[in-house]
Amino acid sequence: MTVWAPAVAAVGVGAALVTGTWAVATLDTAVAGVVAGRGLHLRRAALAPLRRAALLAGRHPVTTERPDAPAWVVAGPLLLALAGAALSALPLAEGLAVADVPDGLVLYGAAMALVMVAVFLHGWAPNSVFPLIGAYRFVAQALSYQIALFLVLLGAALPAGSLGLGAIVEAQSELWNVIRQPLGLPLFLVAGTALSFWGPLALPDGEDLAGGTAAESSGRELLVWRTARAAVLVATAAVAAACFLGGWLGPVLPGPVWMVAKTLALLVILVVPAHVVPRVRIERFVSFGWTILLPLSLVDVFAAGVVALRTST
Amino acid sequence: MGLNSLRIRLAGAAPAPVFVVCGLGGRERVVDLYAEPGLQVYSTPRHAGVLLVVGRLTRGLVAPALQAHDQMASPRLVVRWTAADGDDPGDHGDVFPNAVVAHGSAAEVAAAVAAAHRELLAGDRPPSAALLADIEPAPWQGVGPYGTGGTGMTGGVPFGRPMAARAADRDDLELDQLKLRLGPLLPSLPSGLVLDVALQGDVVQSAAVGDNPYRLYAGDPVPAAPAPGLFERACHQPVRIAELERARARHHLRWAAGLARLVGLEALGVRLTTLSARLAASEESAQAERLLTRIGRSRWVAGTFAGGDLDDAGLAGLGPVARAAGSEEDARTHDPAYRALGFEPVLGEGGDTPGRVRQRLAEAVQALRLATAAGDATTTVSGVVEGPRGRLGRGAPPPSAALVDLVAGVVEGLEWGDAVAAIASLDLDVEEAARHPQMAMP
Repeated sequence: MTVWAPAVAAVGVGAALVTGTWAVATLDTAVAGVVAGRGLHLRRAALAPLRRAALLAGRHPVTTERPDAPAWVVAGPLLLALAGAALSALPLAEGLAVADVPDGLVLYGAAMALVMVAVFLHGWAPNSVFPLIGAYRFVAQALSYQIALFLVLLGAALPAGSLGLGAIVEAQSELWNVIRQPLGLPLFLVAGTALSFWGPLALPDGEDLAGGTAAESSGRELLVWRTARAAVLVATAAVAAACFLGGWLGPVLPGPVWMVAKTLALLVILVVPAHVVPRVRIERFVSFGWTILLPLSLVDVFAAGVVALRTST
Repeated sequence: MGLNSLRIRLAGAAPAPVFVVCGLGGRERVVDLYAEPGLQVYSTPRHAGVLLVVGRLTRGLVAPALQAHDQMASPRLVVRWTAADGDDPGDHGDVFPNAVVAHGSAAEVAAAVAAAHRELLAGDRPPSAALLADIEPAPWQGVGPYGTGGTGMTGGVPFGRPMAARAADRDDLELDQLKLRLGPLLPSLPSGLVLDVALQGDVVQSAAVGDNPYRLYAGDPVPAAPAPGLFERACHQPVRIAELERARARHHLRWAAGLARLVGLEALGVRLTTLSARLAASEESAQAERLLTRIGRSRWVAGTFAGGDLDDAGLAGLGPVARAAGSEEDARTHDPAYRALGFEPVLGEGGDTPGRVRQRLAEAVQALRLATAAGDATTTVSGVVEGPRGRLGRGAPPPSAALVDLVAGVVEGLEWGDAVAAIASLDLDVEEAARHPQMAMP
């Protein structure tokens, strides 16, 4: 068993990454088609990510003048690995996680704090102007969402009295955190969109910067980067499902089905704004982060703390 | 079936990844490309495999187009979209000798691009080789002790590469400032716009508009003058108001589509472009009216755009830009046919970027309503016509010539995202500016 454990773990995380990112790309294509007025074509939308991936996989990457080559090689896989690490701690059902660590939330937090390093490297490495501006934008963005992101997760952990993701889910057997802490999920989804730099908060890879940190990326390198971005979004949705929507808890259907269904529902909520909400100005997001997001997350965590104290005494 | 042939088949079914170079007379055609389902237009050549050159390349566009070509990942391909069958692209020399030539509507060209791209992937068509020598843009030799050409370690152009210098920022702190030339192929700027900017982080400290790449020089092949558009014709002959106003609404819708792309709403851009092609149908016209009204009223306009203030002075003849800033000037107010329809210009949505965006959306809605109400009424010829960008006729310079002059002032002090939005809100056509008599044939 112990010999095979790493292989099983790798297959588990790999399967989660592949199906998750494919689901994100499918949803994204489907929503884009509806907004564009071309109607809903699910089969075409499901095939589109595979086609685009096949196209990128066959292109020979081009390089820039004097890039930081090792950093460029590392950035995309690092982001993908961070998303994988976050997903590995997530329980599909009771005790069923690739890495059923006692403090899963700490592992998630550690992995997501390093996202900033991966994005900055990706913008730094090509030795080019727009990617570098994108990289600096993400630093400004990250400083504005990070504290709030982890505060609302701490709030979700308080009723369980544990930082373990399994314990957090079990503590929701009577009442989901989304109801117990009404501020938690909305705040987490906003901060999570910023963390995944997706949709209206895709500022580091924005259109005004001709693709930002990815402006000089091509071929397989671009494929890895796009996959990694989608994987971070999947990790965000899955953590939200576990911490706020009761994870595997649900009637009739088996636990893993509930966990996947809740993650998918949250992915829809995360993907739709990308096609209906315009890009947020970075200055506006930074002031929103410090004057609204952070104070509200403090309110959330204090309220959760008061409730937790009263129930325990 | 082998894995590789499966990959090629899958890849061939994907939309062809395109980077567009807009040559002389290409601007209108380029807009339609974004709505083609068989193409995916990217904002950087690195993501593309097909360089689609629309219209003629001028002297100023050849070097940037070659560079964009070599920046595409291989296998790559060049397609030229010419105006008609057998039309000579008419460039300087043979810029892209192995290009596939296509003509016709956007849909026909998209089909030709997709077919050529599939052949390329299947190996039935040789990939386009690099056209520029793969050498460093300047030798790694600098002047002075630090190679910067000066005495310090910052600033200057060491080894031919711009390096950040120190300059006071908006809080009077001495921070890094980088001087750059952007354009003419940067898709977040109007095609052809060259901007010399001093950037401090994300903030544009100063900007100046560089040479117009659409400018023709003595000895250049002169393209046939484009057929006069509806607005030019209206200067000399009466036209149906319904037709003229629909053309105005169409122009603003296509501008809104570009703006939607700029703020990341590509799918909304597709919808607006598609609607713009079908305004003659009453159902689509009503749909466009509802959509524009909804966007204009939403709080998103105020949240997405900021800055870019212009005051009313010096905006004479600049149509929506002037009216947004509070001017009451609109050539249509002097036309009895318009007065009979109860026409009153839309005024004063605001002299900044969000104001100009709201102004154009409101004017598009107004144009659609006028088109519906006008029936068979025709314009009264006075030699002056209110075009979508401003006043046309009586030998006046085209509005874009004056709009280009506003660019430098409007972006100063803005963050880059706000700067590109402010430029987009001016709706300038760099090629139209090059047709200004003072620009012609130096």
